[in-house]
Amino acid sequence: MKRSWIKLLLTVVFVCVILSGLGWLFIKLVPEPPMKELEEARAAISDARNHNSIIYSAKIFKESRNFYDSAMIAWKTENKRFILFRDYERVRKFAVLSEKKASEATKRTIAKANDMKANLKNDLDRLNEEVKSFEKIFSSVPLPQDMKKKNAKGKLLLKEAEIAYEKGQYVGGNVKVTEAGEYITESYEMARSKLSDYFRSYQKWQDWARVTINESKQNNSYAILVEKVPGLCHVYYNGVRKYTFDAEFGENWMGDKMSRGDDATPEGRYMITRKLANGSTKYYKALMINYPNEQDLAEFKSRIRSGVIPSNAKIGDLIEIHGEGGKGGNWTKGCIALKNSDIDTLYRLVSSGTPVTIIGSTSPLNQIMSAN
Amino acid sequence: MKNRFFLFVATIAAVALMTSCAKVPQANIDAANAAIDSAKTVQADIYLPGEFTALNDSMTVIMQKIEAQKSKLFKSYKAPKAKLVALRAQASQVAANAVVKKEEVKKEAEAGLVAVKQLLADDQALLKKAPRGKEGKAVLDEIKGELSVIETSITEAQTAFDGGANYMTVVDKIKAANDQLTNIKTELDDAIAKVKKR
Repeated sequence: MKRSWIKLLLTVVFVCVILSGLGWLFIKLVPEPPMKELEEARAAISDARNHNSIIYSAKIFKESRNFYDSAMIAWKTENKRFILFRDYERVRKFAVLSEKKASEATKRTIAKANDMKANLKNDLDRLNEEVKSFEKIFSSVPLPQDMKKKNAKGKLLLKEAEIAYEKGQYVGGNVKVTEAGEYITESYEMARSKLSDYFRSYQKWQDWARVTINESKQNNSYAILVEKVPGLCHVYYNGVRKYTFDAEFGENWMGDKMSRGDDATPEGRYMITRKLANGSTKYYKALMINYPNEQDLAEFKSRIRSGVIPSNAKIGDLIEIHGEGGKGGNWTKGCIALKNSDIDTLYRLVSSGTPVTIIGSTSPLNQIMSAN
Repeated sequence: MKNRFFLFVATIAAVALMTSCAKVPQANIDAANAAIDSAKTVQADIYLPGEFTALNDSMTVIMQKIEAQKSKLFKSYKAPKAKLVALRAQASQVAANAVVKKEEVKKEAEAGLVAVKQLLADDQALLKKAPRGKEGKAVLDEIKGELSVIETSITEAQTAFDGGANYMTVVDKIKAANDQLTNIKTELDDAIAKVKKR
């Protein structure tokens, strides 16, 4: 009996030793999954996502996700096999590829986001400058209403792009700034083109201004030179500029006056024909000029003949330099408006026969554009 | 002989039990995924993007841990299971927070729309008060044009708001309109004051 117990005990010990040995061998033979690589891939994807790679490097980010998914699928597939027959090499390869792509996506995202941020800032600055220039140079340029609306739309989109920039939404900001740019640039270019067309008369203006100043010098007398683009009225005496006043014109000031009611201020060489004291005019004080002169009449007839203006059009008259100006816009029906204090000074200096020359500008267009 | 056979079978059964008794917590996985989906349904990805991304990251980590257990001879899903339970609760919390945040942004957009419409009405009223006739007509026409562009933008914002879209974009649109209207108001106030002075 005792012997049989010893025998049984020995058998149990033997079996345990054998099983333990087999177990140890078994555990040693079980392949290890590539945990380090998988964890690195997951962390890299998370990092790429936090950097918004899904927006800035969508393709590479998607590839890294696909490689990670492939690694997980391969891992699951291997896990279904008998434990000793598993091979995680494909899992490791996919995980490594995923980590590489995700890191690349992060790297590219950082570079791209920085580029986009810088580009957006440049575009915002450039367009804001364009808007400022537009307001400085072109706000008084008579543009069609729809073109002014486009400029307004551009300004609104520019504001939205600025908000996107402040929020770090550079992709959305770039979309908005591009759209804003199209509207603003279109209206800017149209205004610029109108102004360029207008400046075709620049040489003629230069000649008129020179002759007027020379006459003032030769005659030792006063002369008035009006520049429509900068909105100025200069007073010369003996060929030397003595005063400069701000001036306002007709709403449709750009170009010569064509006919009555066109709200344009005429361009040419005129003279004062009559002085209207306070009480004789509703615009405080006025200096009437001899518009239309002979040249204006000839041009008016020629325009009717060539069909530029309708045959029943009438030539304008009653053009004056008067007071009640200083409103900050071009609002007259074709006259030149000065502040009351300025017309007081001018009224005192000049008399009937004082030359009045009205031109676009004494400065060339490029100088005006670069100054602004 | 009989004893030896039983002993052998018992040992094999014990080993088999140890290696296969742990089961993948599929129900917990499904529940956590469903909670994350629910969070997305209430637009947590839009209103709480950071928190929503963290949920997805946590889910990925847990799924890795589950797969790691599957690769082992002796499996235990206790830890991943506990994490799934916690993640589910976290996802539900994020969903609830997203609803609150969305409501906050909605209220902000709603108040913004009221304010910006009022500002538009104020500007339109000021435009009527501004000197008419030939005085500054071109300037007023330009402002009128700008106001009509801004009004269109406000209408678009209202449509987006009514459609229950992303209220954050509505807020941004309103802010831009508000800034432009404030500039115009200043311009009109100045113009009116200038005329009053004279």
